[in-house]
Amino acid sequence: MSAEHHTHPTPAQYWKIAVVLAVLTAIEVAMFYIDRELGLGSLNALILITLALLKFVIVVGWYMHLRFEKPMLNRFFTAGFVLAISLYLVVLASLGVVVIRGG
Amino acid sequence: MSDIAHEAPVAHHEEHESTGIDNRKLGMWIFLSSEFLFFGALITNYLLYSNRAGFEGIYPAAIYDIPFTSVSSFVLLMSSLTMVLAHNALSRGDQDGTRTWLFATAALGSVFLAGQVFEFTEFIVEYDMTLATNPAASAFYVLTGFHGTHVAIGVIMLLSLWGISRRQGSLSERHGMNLELVGLYWHFVDIIWIVIFTVVYLLSVPPG
Repeated sequence: MSAEHHTHPTPAQYWKIAVVLAVLTAIEVAMFYIDRELGLGSLNALILITLALLKFVIVVGWYMHLRFEKPMLNRFFTAGFVLAISLYLVVLASLGVVVIRGG
Repeated sequence: MSDIAHEAPVAHHEEHESTGIDNRKLGMWIFLSSEFLFFGALITNYLLYSNRAGFEGIYPAAIYDIPFTSVSSFVLLMSSLTMVLAHNALSRGDQDGTRTWLFATAALGSVFLAGQVFEFTEFIVEYDMTLATNPAASAFYVLTGFHGTHVAIGVIMLLSLWGISRRQGSLSERHGMNLELVGLYWHFVDIIWIVIFTVVYLLSVPPG
């Protein structure tokens, strides 16, 4: 249909991406239990948020094909997402909510 | 669709091409962006109340079944794989493959929903945590309930496409775009769950 389709991943690459996502999820769950034992606190939160962000970017970029779309759509989505996150972080900070608790 | 777009000098179709992106796809991305704000508000609401001390009744974070929810998360994550394989099969003209992967996606979505129903039932029956127990429980049910509603709508759309494909023998180019739009919606539901699983389940700590 369009030139974009030529650059889309192959089914084999989609399977590999799924394996990466599964491994990242397994690490997340493992981190939950490691934190229970060792009380990593903020470090655990930082690792979990980084892993979630990584999974998020992989799904949006490869499965939703955003990295193969026109740059305008990519910028539109990224800017909106960053603004939305900023907005809610400001709200949470202004209400004094402690999102990340130390162990 | 393509012959209409190329032959008819209709203003619609010129506008359609002005951004270089199909208007329906652009519309779906804008809709999904608005959904980010919607879920962002619900997640913020949960974070406001989940750790706040002084409420009566049990807190959701005290009773999460992490192994169970991890399996549910894995199931939903894998449904994104089957969705993208359905889209890929259609782009290769493999109609049987498209139907198979569409059905698999709907089935995995249904398994996730069944898990959520089980979780809610367990929380209500075993722990007596209802929507009205306290603001933390209310925020939890509203957030995860709305996400579940989105999954249910996605399953209905997937089964509709599967039914159309079965009845007509194949998906037309128009329905092919519909599959792409449903795919975007489905992946969105998945990425929202990625955030919910981390923020609500893995990082929440009850007060005290």
